[in-house]
Amino acid sequence: MQEIKNYTMNFGPQHPAAHGVLRLVLEMDGETIVRADPHIGLLHRATEKLAESKPFNQSIGYMDRLDYVSMMCNEHAYVRAIESLLGVEAPERAQWIRTMFDEITRILNHLMWVGSNALDLGAMAVFLYAFREREELMDCYEAVSGARMHATYYRPGGVYRDLPEVMPKYGESKWHKGKDLERRNAWRGGSMLDFLDAFCADFPRRVDEYEELLTNNRIWKQRTVDIGIVSPEQALAWGMSGPMLRGSGVEWDLRKKQPYAKYADVDFDIPVGVKGDCYDRYLVRVEEMRQSNRIIKQCVDWLRANPGPVMVRNYKVAPPSRVEMKDDMEALIHHFKLFTEGYSVPAGETYSAVEAPKGEFGIYLVSDGANKPFRLKCRAPSFVHLSSMDAIVRGHMLPDVVAMIGTYDVVFGEVDR
Amino acid sequence: MSAQPTAPAVPPDHVTIEIDGKSMVVPKNSMIIAAADKAGIAIPRFCYHEKLPIAANCRMCMVEVEMGGKPMPKPQPACATPVADGMKIQTQSQRALSAQRNVMEFLLINHPLDCPICDQGGECELQDLSMGYGRSVSRFVEKKRVVPDEDLGSLVETEMTRCIQCTRCVRFMADIAGTYELGGMERGERLQIGTYVGKPLMSELSGNVIDVCPVGALTNKPFRFKARAWELIARESIGYHDALGTNLWLHTRRGEVLRAVPRDNEAVNECWASDRDRYSSDGLRAKDRAQKPMIRRNGELVEASWAEALAFVADHLRDARGDVGALVAPLTSNEEGFLLGRLLRGIGSDHVDHRLRTLDFADAPVATPFEMPIAAIDKAKAILLVGCNPRHEIPLLAQRIRKAVRAGAKVHAINPVDFDFNFDLAGKAIVTPAAMLDALLGLAKAANDAGHLPESSALAQAIAGLSADAKAQALFKLLADAPESVILLGETALNHPNASSLRAAARFVAKVTHSAVDEIPGGANAVGLARAGAQPRQGGRDAGALLANPPKHLVVYHTGSQDTSAPAAFDRARTEAQFCVYVGAYACNGVQRTAHAVLPIGLPPEIDGSYTNLDGTTQTIDAAAKLPGDARPGWKVLRALGAALSIPGFEFTAIDDVRAQMAADGASPVTATNALRPRIEPAHGRLVRIATTAIYASDAVVRRSPALQAHPLARPACVTLHPEDALALGLGAGATARVSGVELPVELSTRVPRGGAWIEAGLKGSAHLPPHGASLDITKA
Amino acid sequence: MNRVTSYLKSLMLLELLAGLGLTFKYLWRPKYTVRYPMEHIPKSNRFRGLHALRRYPNGEERCIACKLCEAVCPALAITIDSAPREDGTRRTTRYDIDLFKCIFCGFCEESCPVDSIVETSIHEYHFEKRGENVVTKPQLLAIGDRFEKEIAAARAQDAAFR
Repeated sequence: MQEIKNYTMNFGPQHPAAHGVLRLVLEMDGETIVRADPHIGLLHRATEKLAESKPFNQSIGYMDRLDYVSMMCNEHAYVRAIESLLGVEAPERAQWIRTMFDEITRILNHLMWVGSNALDLGAMAVFLYAFREREELMDCYEAVSGARMHATYYRPGGVYRDLPEVMPKYGESKWHKGKDLERRNAWRGGSMLDFLDAFCADFPRRVDEYEELLTNNRIWKQRTVDIGIVSPEQALAWGMSGPMLRGSGVEWDLRKKQPYAKYADVDFDIPVGVKGDCYDRYLVRVEEMRQSNRIIKQCVDWLRANPGPVMVRNYKVAPPSRVEMKDDMEALIHHFKLFTEGYSVPAGETYSAVEAPKGEFGIYLVSDGANKPFRLKCRAPSFVHLSSMDAIVRGHMLPDVVAMIGTYDVVFGEVDR
Repeated sequence: MSAQPTAPAVPPDHVTIEIDGKSMVVPKNSMIIAAADKAGIAIPRFCYHEKLPIAANCRMCMVEVEMGGKPMPKPQPACATPVADGMKIQTQSQRALSAQRNVMEFLLINHPLDCPICDQGGECELQDLSMGYGRSVSRFVEKKRVVPDEDLGSLVETEMTRCIQCTRCVRFMADIAGTYELGGMERGERLQIGTYVGKPLMSELSGNVIDVCPVGALTNKPFRFKARAWELIARESIGYHDALGTNLWLHTRRGEVLRAVPRDNEAVNECWASDRDRYSSDGLRAKDRAQKPMIRRNGELVEASWAEALAFVADHLRDARGDVGALVAPLTSNEEGFLLGRLLRGIGSDHVDHRLRTLDFADAPVATPFEMPIAAIDKAKAILLVGCNPRHEIPLLAQRIRKAVRAGAKVHAINPVDFDFNFDLAGKAIVTPAAMLDALLGLAKAANDAGHLPESSALAQAIAGLSADAKAQALFKLLADAPESVILLGETALNHPNASSLRAAARFVAKVTHSAVDEIPGGANAVGLARAGAQPRQGGRDAGALLANPPKHLVVYHTGSQDTSAPAAFDRARTEAQFCVYVGAYACNGVQRTAHAVLPIGLPPEIDGSYTNLDGTTQTIDAAAKLPGDARPGWKVLRALGAALSIPGFEFTAIDDVRAQMAADGASPVTATNALRPRIEPAHGRLVRIATTAIYASDAVVRRSPALQAHPLARPACVTLHPEDALALGLGAGATARVSGVELPVELSTRVPRGGAWIEAGLKGSAHLPPHGASLDITKA
Repeated sequence: MNRVTSYLKSLMLLELLAGLGLTFKYLWRPKYTVRYPMEHIPKSNRFRGLHALRRYPNGEERCIACKLCEAVCPALAITIDSAPREDGTRRTTRYDIDLFKCIFCGFCEESCPVDSIVETSIHEYHFEKRGENVVTKPQLLAIGDRFEKEIAAARAQDAAFR
């Protein structure tokens, strides 16, 4: 009898469904996966090591670039780690702003996920609709920080600036003027909070549209139902978190279990799956978008009613305002020192985690009392999830690998760091 | 061992105190802050400085003190509160911290908002302590005080509005530099620090006020606005303009030395640096720096590759058949000196020397380490200076002598000029060079009279007909009676035409009085070069002979004409040489005119090298700066040249191999003899040249440092005469004299003895004059 | 019964038709697309784009070479050389920003004590030759001169928040 050898195939690192630069070495028996071996490191930028060489604040911008689809959540974990070592607490308003932007980030991430995952599995339209809403939310990112993605907005001791009073508007053009322009700028008449309020009122309807396109769609279901089942035991054993864990029916969410920022004060539910297959995880993420929308709405209401400082007035940590810096000796010295040398963080170690859209994103930070981290370690959910690849996809067909990579929601910025 | 706990032994004159709950035993009468510093407990301070007297005027170091179980009613300044047995001190208590915070607020009310344009920003004690101990916001809304600036010269930049009146600079100038040039005018808020008369700082240690200034009031002028502290990489290095080997940090950016600051070393420079070491680094970037190897083709110097240039030089040296000599500047490193000596001997010549300013080679002088190390000079009880101006030769040595004087030492001087010392002399003989010899022989005679016989018959002969006067006898008694005494032989003694006699007399007197003899080495690494073999071993021509009777082939290593005792002879030697190769850093006009090949090499801050200082301590440093252009470290050039000449024993690949070979070879077998040169008598009725090397003309790098050249101490050559001599010659102050064919402006001073004409050496204007101790023709121009 | 209904629903492609209906509906809706580059999406006055160096109204350059921006730049994109100018004031002799290194975090603008270095709202620029990514002091000043009005207006609008 002729001997048949397994066939080894390289999936990625340039494959459009590899979500970045994943190189997956697949050993296949026909169409069936015998072994999947993820090779990573193609996007390694030494973020952790780099952080050891610069003052604490200078690494905030690099946190954005870890999981570059959930920027502010990464920042949040990092500044929380610094705050816990410094013993500084951000003002209440800053906490609410952070809560709101964490949820905006969650929606941004899940929109990206639902769009690209659907695209991977053959559905084109969802991607376009999802990116339409992402546009609105990225406008919020830009309005508050000045950058649509890499915000560098959270700072130890609060957030950089308060929410703006105006939203930027579309300009008139040959194609959009008069009534048409008014319609485009309908939500943009007031402050950013008004804009978000209007967005929140509208968003559930949009989610319905994605669901209309996917939830009952037979092709979608054929590609996802009973694919990549992760049992609760497996999920726990592999250290999964976020939708990967909740999709398998484990009720675990840091926002509920270890509330940070203002999560204890807002009302929301956490959805869990039943079977732990790709379809369940899809449903969980869609429901999370609806819940996030609820939280944003509550944050908007609170923030409207409660003006106040967004940064601690402790110049040993946070720089003074520009006006003060320009005519006050002490303030100028603190400004100068904070921007050159930074602050020194008391010696100690801490682990601070947030419920990032992809799961538990944590920062383990060791300080030796200097103005730079002694050691920084990121616990990136994508990295943890990706490690289970072989165990989950073994025995599946090749196209299921694509579904699985999609449902892991891996982003190589944080896997490779 | 007994199991019984024993009480900790408290040494006598010590007390037990407790700082922040930490118990410690400290010397009686020491201050709290010193005890805390020793224990590593931080107390903020501005005015306190370990090496300066206590002023206690900044009030920043407030601590809470408890004595005998009773807290003192107010916080006490830690710098001015002596410790007492059982004292309990809190540096971090609420009261102490609030006192410190309030003082900080007061210090800042008059401080201008200058941080962004202030050079001190980033290394400012005021900023650091404000961050650590001050308030976040000021409550002061009134107008701030403004203080007019004073121009303190080319080295120190002032911005007196930033001054917080800690008076560290005033105390430095008074106590350490000893020139009392700074002081405080007015009082209270209007207190101003300055010279009052608005003249530049004349001290040769003035740069240290920048280091002691905790704020940006006094900053480094040549370094002004160049870089921030955080951009600079500090590299360990040493000074190479005097034999002290001052430990320095060279602050470099992108391979360029931007400034130098002292590195603490109690055995060498404590925490100070002389201006010469601090400000010379700009000289590294002089316009005439040699950047490319050059060879002379058809009478013209043209750039060449290293391979070409080395082959060119090797060909000529091979053809020399031993008729080749080398003049080495004393700032050359041990490794280079060693390789150069080896190279010369490899091609059959022993004519290599670094004693460029020496005139008397009769006793084959060898630069020797100080018998009394420099750190011990503080504690000497009697010091005899012979032909020595320590302030200009080794500025920090003068500071040590000043310390000794303040501790009660008696200092006598036998000098050709009544130099302006920063310490008091117990007695002095200001005499012409010839009379200086008499004075020292007289001292030897006094020793002889006391029943001691000189070992050397030549010396015995020299003192035979003399009689010791009362002064000499008193001086001998002083040296003999003092428990720690030292005879310091300086430049004008060692470069004396009869230096051998001076040295022999000094050694004899020292031996019988149990004093030490400290000969100030001529240049930064004279001691090391003598050991490494850059000096004749078997009858080779010494520097004097090389200048008087030059070989056909000449290797000039780092040497410029102004580094030699006879610039004119040096110039003639290299002009008339059949082949002259310049291995050095500066392709100046003279080099361009005379050299047949130029091999550009690095200066001490740019190369790995070791240097042996006046204590005989060898200090090894690594390259701190980038070499300019195609320049290479000297040892590599010599190694390549040795290989090109196929001399065995040049197979080094790393500098460590060179060092290992040096260690294996041991110190070069050069020995001094007892021979004395016959006495050189100046021509009767003519004035005698007194030559001291100008402080800011001591070597090629210093001569190219713009900041130092702009200093008042860097004057153009002039002739200083005793007023009566001048009167006899019909010369007044400001007149121009023709001195042995050279026109020089005349200055009058009673500091110069009758019969002497003081003209500084190392300067352009004095290059063509006869050397120290020679007779001059002086007429009215 | 349930199985029958779902079988019928499945047979009639109901869920697929519903999805197609949604996309068909959008065929008649106003377009969401922005016709870039003729049209632009709205831009916040906090936008962090290409850098510029500003001047005072009297034409004097603001930058005093304090080097805070150089120190705070996480990407080491800024290189400054400084020296006293003829009138004795502290000025830069070189102010380079390597736009390939820059991560547009905005720290330089935050750190500037004299509002000199700013990140403008310009985001459309390109380089044609190697080395053009390093923008020099004259270029930065020229950008500042050209867009001073917009820069000042954006800063004024956001002044209360800074």
